[in-house]
Amino acid sequence: MKYSEIQQILNKANLGDLPKLNISVLRNVMIESMVPYLKYMAYQMGFEAKVQIGEYDNIVQESMGLKEGLLTDKTDCILIFMKLENLSWKLARNYAALEPNEIQDEIKRVHATVTDTLSGIRKQTKGMILWHSFEIPLYPPINQNGIIQELNKFLQGSLAQLSNAYYVDINLCVSRIGAKVYYDQRYWHIGRAPYSLDALSEIVFEDFKFIRPLKGKNKKCLVLDCDNVLWGGVIGEDGLPGIKLGKTHPGSAYYEFQEEIMNLYHRGILIALCSKNNSEDVWEVFRDHPDMVLKEKNIVASQINWEDKATNIRKIAGQLNIGLDSIVFADDSEFEVNLVRQALPEVTIIHLPKEKTLEYRDILASCGLFDTLTISSEDRQRGEMYKAEVLRRDLQVKAPDLDTYLKSLEMEVEIKSADEFTIPRISQLTQKTNQFNLTTRRYSDAEIKGLADSKESHVLYLKLIDKFGDSGIVGVSILKYRDDKAILDSFLLSCRVLGRGIEDIFIIQTLKLAKQRGSKVLIGEFIPTSKNAQAKDFLVKQGFKGTEPAYDLNQAIRSEPSFFKKIIT
Amino acid sequence: MEEKVLNDKVFKIISQVMNIPAEGINENSSPENIEQWDSLQHMNLILALEEDLKIKFTDEEIAQMIDVHLILKALRTKNIA
Repeated sequence: MKYSEIQQILNKANLGDLPKLNISVLRNVMIESMVPYLKYMAYQMGFEAKVQIGEYDNIVQESMGLKEGLLTDKTDCILIFMKLENLSWKLARNYAALEPNEIQDEIKRVHATVTDTLSGIRKQTKGMILWHSFEIPLYPPINQNGIIQELNKFLQGSLAQLSNAYYVDINLCVSRIGAKVYYDQRYWHIGRAPYSLDALSEIVFEDFKFIRPLKGKNKKCLVLDCDNVLWGGVIGEDGLPGIKLGKTHPGSAYYEFQEEIMNLYHRGILIALCSKNNSEDVWEVFRDHPDMVLKEKNIVASQINWEDKATNIRKIAGQLNIGLDSIVFADDSEFEVNLVRQALPEVTIIHLPKEKTLEYRDILASCGLFDTLTISSEDRQRGEMYKAEVLRRDLQVKAPDLDTYLKSLEMEVEIKSADEFTIPRISQLTQKTNQFNLTTRRYSDAEIKGLADSKESHVLYLKLIDKFGDSGIVGVSILKYRDDKAILDSFLLSCRVLGRGIEDIFIIQTLKLAKQRGSKVLIGEFIPTSKNAQAKDFLVKQGFKGTEPAYDLNQAIRSEPSFFKKIIT
Repeated sequence: MEEKVLNDKVFKIISQVMNIPAEGINENSSPENIEQWDSLQHMNLILALEEDLKIKFTDEEIAQMIDVHLILKALRTKNIA
C-alpha cells in the first residue's frame, strides 16, 4: 500500500484504546520514514506501535544506556540497523585497497561492536532483538562478499547465543524487490537515508514475521476453497478428468500451490476446506486424482455444503476450538471473499483472483502470516492431533454421559517437572497460549530453564495420550515459593484439551506438589486479557477463596477424577 | 493532468503526510507557515508524491522543491497522467 494511504488510515484510526507495542530503533542511518509502516502493521495486528528512534549513529552508546527510556523492561522489540558503510566504510567501499592485515583489523572491530552492542542491550532489556544483517555489495571485488558473509555468520552466531534475539536477513528484502528499487541514491547522498519507501515497507514486513508470533498473533489455520483454488475448473461440472491439476501447464500452477500448502502443513498450520460443492465430488478428487498433493489425512476439518461460507468458517473455528482471528481464508471468488470479510472481520483473507493463477503459490508463500519463531516436533504433528480432536468431539455427540465418554477416551496423562527435552515446548506454550491462560506470562527457553533449575520454583508440564493419539505437551504450571507460601505464577492449557477433566487433574497435582514442598497456602492469580475470559472463574471453581484467590493447603486435597486410564507423575 | 486537479491532489498528499487539514494548504504553504513541515517530513512528502504520481525527481530537483509553490512548479515540468 502507498505511504500516503497508510498515513491517511493512521491519521483516522483510533489507536488510543489498543494495547501498546513498544518498539525502539537503534540505527546508524536515517530510517525515520519506516515509522508509518511499523505503526500500520501493528495496527493490523491490533496494537498501537509506540516507536522510539535512537540518535543517528549512536548504537553502541545507546545500547549502554545513553538515552533514557529507549531500552527498558517495557520495550517489546529492538530493531537494529547497523549499515556497514557507516560502521566500516573501508570494508564496504574501499575493499580493493585494503591489505590483508587491515581487513582483519576491520573485521575485529566489527565483531567487537556487535558483541558490545548485544551485551549492552541485554543488560537493559529482555525485549526481542531484531538485528538486520549486513547488505551484500552488488558489484564486489574478489572475496569482499565472502568477508561480508562471514560477518553475517558472526552476527547470526552471536544472536543465537541470546534468547529472544533474531537475525533478520535483509538481503531477502533486497532480492525480493530488486536493488534498483531498494536503494535510493538521492536520499543516501542528501541525507544518509539509503532506503526507498518500497524497501522500508519490505523490511517492516520481514520484521513482523518475528513480531507477530512474539505477540501470539501468528495465524494457525488456513481454510481453503476447492474449485479454482486447489484445482482449475469446477469438479461438479468438469468431472475428475476435466479439472486442471498436474505436473505440466496449466495444472502445474495448482500442483505447486498445493505443495506450498503442504509446506504450511508440515510447519504445524491446520488445513481446512470450505467449499460449495457436493462433498462426495470433492473427496473423490482427494482420493482418486493422481496429482493431488494434499491428501484427505492432511485436512483437519471441512465444511463442504451449500451454506454460506461465513457460517461454515464459524463452524470450522468451533470444531477446532480456535479463535476466528487465528484463521486465514483463501478463495478465488470476489463474492465469497467480500461476504466473509464483512461477516467475519476477524478472519484474514487471501484473495486468489483467477487471472493470477500462476502466482497462487507466491501469494501464499509471501503472506508472512503463519511464521513462528521456532518449529517444534509438536508443530509437525499438529494437524494429526487436531484431527483426532475432531473425532473425539464427534464421539462426544454420541456418548450418553460425560464420565462414560471421558472414560472411553482412555486418557493417560503425564505430569512431571520440566527437563531439557520439554523446555522448548514449555516456553513455546507460554508464548502462544492465549485463551486458557491465567496470567499470560511469556517465557523464553532460558527463562524456563532458570525457573526449572531454581529451588524457589517448580515448572510442571502435562502430557496427554488418548485412544486417538498423542497430543504431546499441552499444559504448563509454574509455582514460585515465598516463605511458607506457594504462588501460581502461570497455569495454562492448550484449549483443544479443555472440557475433559485435564484442568482438574492438573490443578490437583499442582496443589499436591505445593503441599509436599511444605507450603501452607497456594496463591492464585488471574490477569484478564482480551482472550482469556474462559479461564476467569477457574480458580473459584477449584476452591480458591478470597479477593487474592488462595487455596488453603491444610485442608484435604480432593482425589483425582476416576475416568483417567493412567496418571504418571 | 489539469492544473486544478493536480494542485488539489498535491494539497491532499501534503495533508495526509503531515496529518493536517487539506483546507489549510495552498500555493503559499511552506515550512515557514506549516509547523509539521520539517526536513524529515519534507523527505516523506517528496517520496509520497513520487509514489502517488508515479514520477521520479532528480536530486537537483529535490533540492529546489522547498515549498508548495516550487513543488507545483517542478511538477508542471513532468508528464503526469
